[in-house]
Amino acid sequence: MMFSKRINVALVSGLCALTPAPAAAQALAEQVAVCGSCHGENGKPQEKVTPIIWGQMRGYLYIQLRDFKRGDRKHEIMQAMAANFERDDMLAIAEYFSQKPWPDLGQPRAPKEVAERAVRANGSVGCTGCHFDQWQGDGTVPRLAGMSREYLAKAISEFRTRARGNNPGMSDLMLATSVEDLAALAEYLAGR
Amino acid sequence: MRQYQRNATILAGAAAIAVVAGASFAQEIKQDAVKAARMAKVPSVGQDLLNKAANDVNNFLLTNGDYAQTRFYPAKQINRNNVRNLKVAWIFQTEVRESLETSPIVVDGVMFVTTSFSHVYAIDAKTGEELWHYKHKMGPITTYCCGPNNRGVQVLGDLVYLATLDAKLVALNSKTGAVVWETQVADPEAGYSETMAPTVVKDKVLIGTNGGEYGIRGFVKAYDAKTGKLIWTFNTTPENSVGVWAMKDATDRDMHRNIEAEKAQLAKTGDPYKTLGGGVWQNPAVDLAANRIFFVVGNPSPDLDGSIRPGDNLYTDSLVSVDLETGKYVCHSQYIAHDVWDLDAVSPPVLVNAKDRSGKTIPAVIHGGKTGHVYVHDRKDCSLIRFSDAMVPQENMWVLPTKEGARMLPGANGGVEWSPMATDPGQGLAYAINLHQPMTYHVESSPYPNGKLWLGGAFKVIPSEAQSGNITAVDYNTGKIKWQVKTPQPMIGGILATAGGLVFTGEGNGKFAAYNSSNGKELWSFNAGAGVNAPPSSYSVGGKQYIVVGAGGNTQLDFKRGNSIVAFTQ
Ligand code: HEC
Ligand code: HEC
Repeated sequence: MMFSKRINVALVSGLCALTPAPAAAQALAEQVAVCGSCHGENGKPQEKVTPIIWGQMRGYLYIQLRDFKRGDRKHEIMQAMAANFERDDMLAIAEYFSQKPWPDLGQPRAPKEVAERAVRANGSVGCTGCHFDQWQGDGTVPRLAGMSREYLAKAISEFRTRARGNNPGMSDLMLATSVEDLAALAEYLAGR
Repeated sequence: MRQYQRNATILAGAAAIAVVAGASFAQEIKQDAVKAARMAKVPSVGQDLLNKAANDVNNFLLTNGDYAQTRFYPAKQINRNNVRNLKVAWIFQTEVRESLETSPIVVDGVMFVTTSFSHVYAIDAKTGEELWHYKHKMGPITTYCCGPNNRGVQVLGDLVYLATLDAKLVALNSKTGAVVWETQVADPEAGYSETMAPTVVKDKVLIGTNGGEYGIRGFVKAYDAKTGKLIWTFNTTPENSVGVWAMKDATDRDMHRNIEAEKAQLAKTGDPYKTLGGGVWQNPAVDLAANRIFFVVGNPSPDLDGSIRPGDNLYTDSLVSVDLETGKYVCHSQYIAHDVWDLDAVSPPVLVNAKDRSGKTIPAVIHGGKTGHVYVHDRKDCSLIRFSDAMVPQENMWVLPTKEGARMLPGANGGVEWSPMATDPGQGLAYAINLHQPMTYHVESSPYPNGKLWLGGAFKVIPSEAQSGNITAVDYNTGKIKWQVKTPQPMIGGILATAGGLVFTGEGNGKFAAYNSSNGKELWSFNAGAGVNAPPSSYSVGGKQYIVVGAGGNTQLDFKRGNSIVAFTQ
């Protein structure tokens, strides 16, 4: 209930922000003004299930906005946000956020057994073959290190059920990994 | 990555200094962020010189040594008797600490190497000093599987050719590193990327593509070497990709296809060629006399789910030959029709003269497969003459992938991965490095995802089972294994044979060693401190022979990363 109330507020302010502006720079500033209300004015998201977008990979941010716009990735608010963006807007927004510093959410390091389990699971599927050995991501592959544990758990579980259907390859990999291993990975990644 | 970004800042500073130093090409520098510390004194490389690369004891001109891709280096100053005296001549540290898969190219004492994220360095091959550094300005969108790798450049005339992770082909001035032309090969947003070194021959730049994990339509393209204009495109998945409904693989084993279900699917959804994958990861071999090229085509998309791509999925998992001038199809030979294991064809083919079934020596072409066999073909019509003994354990072939996962050996990385083989024509031997990684194969079905990762399931390493690797010498005239050296880890990178009776290859644990090429006896070794997972090269400068190799580890197998190019001499 709380959640949905806040959403409405954000949507309204989002609409205001989207009125066309002449200068490109100004347009960008207006376009991104609304994002902070959920993704955090200082890069730390308001809610634990909202992902960090500050310092995230440029290519990844663009692709997500594109997918929200196309409806390939479903999320009512984000789809509405992206609906009015053109390709160039999305590229500019992606660049804007990718250049901000990644915030430190101060999440605890995973205990030894959890970390070991996570590392073993990675050894089997090779997550770091794409997400890189420090889980920093590159290009269209997202950074995972230091992302909120709750969001990671949600993303993983939605890949598994294909509720998040914009990357079937990730869904397949998640389905091939046990729920316990994935829980360990979420905890381990949050604390890195 | 953190390391990488920190270094990038330093580089920007250095580039600024270079702008002052090299005022005459300041404009190119500004545009392309080239750091031209010094001019590289590289002579123009003529086609003649390239044609004779196989006998060149000074240069290393082509990714795999010569157009036949023999990786047999003709110099023998370093040989069985003295290789134990091999010492580090110099170590060059690149600014990128990530997977190194580069084949160093050497032209008249100037070496060209590449790193992950498509950087190029020109280095003094005698001293290891940097001459220039081209840092590719990467586009925002890159879509690639298996690491941000780059496997090297080739030089023709005064240009150095590079293919980039954001699917561009770039020609650089060989003396300064400035961009001369650049062209977009394919759309990275649709799953295309480039990691291979281009092959440049007779004013054409030949380039394949990655993307078999993203539902691309694979190709080999030829560009005009001077202008970057497209000359021809050969699509690796023809409009009729169905083939002959082969029930057995090239080694005559049943692949357990459900032809009826496939035919029903075909009637329903039509030929799947548009999103069928078929990447070409490695260089074609060029038959200069016949004016034909030979290359191998990778896996169909999606990797593990065959249900939505009925038919043999031509020309995936095949050796293919096309006409160099026109790109027109000449012949093919498919190893695995309708592959659902990603046991595809990646290691670059090698032209040799080999015995046919009647014992007559004929022009042949060989390929080291992920299946663990070396395949020997007749160059005339691509037909298979023989396949070697299996170089790695094979078990449970061809069990179909299941939801829960079915165990089968070899694992999906091979056998022989992208790693080029070496050959010794005098001994009639092919040298291959192999992986042994027990895996389970899992299948999941999902529709084409618009350029996103599309595996149709997953490959999982079985953590409780030991992995290993090996170096294997195969007699290509008989298919018999001549010798084999076991290694503690799976092997990926490449191998070089020399007229000194040696083979050189590296391992993920940092070991780089020389072996007697007739019996596999280890004669010398060095530990580079990071995975040696790149193909070695050799060259001579100032009357001395050198061996050089990259030690940067490997993303795909998570071998320890580094950033060194190490040159050895006596
Ligand atoms: C009302 C709250 C809200 C606002 C305003 C908002 N977002 Fe989001 N955003 C979310 C939530 C919640 C998610 C997670 C969606 C999910 O769980 O699939 C998300 C996801 C994303 C993602 C995907 C990140 C990832 O790691 O997958 C991107 C990119 C993004 N938002 C960008 C933006 C931008 C740019 C703006 C401003 C134009 C914006 N968002 C405004 C709530 C919001
Ligand atoms: C073959 C490459 C590859 C492998 C292997 C891989 N990933 Fe991913 N991962 C991706 C890509 C690409 C995306 C972006 C998905 C999209 O397009 O929306 C992604 C997205 C994710 C996300 C969502 C992040 C966000 O901000 O929403 C999580 C979580 C994740 N991966 C975890 C993992 C884990 C855990 C593993 C190993 C079990 C793994 N990945 C293996 C490529 C890979």
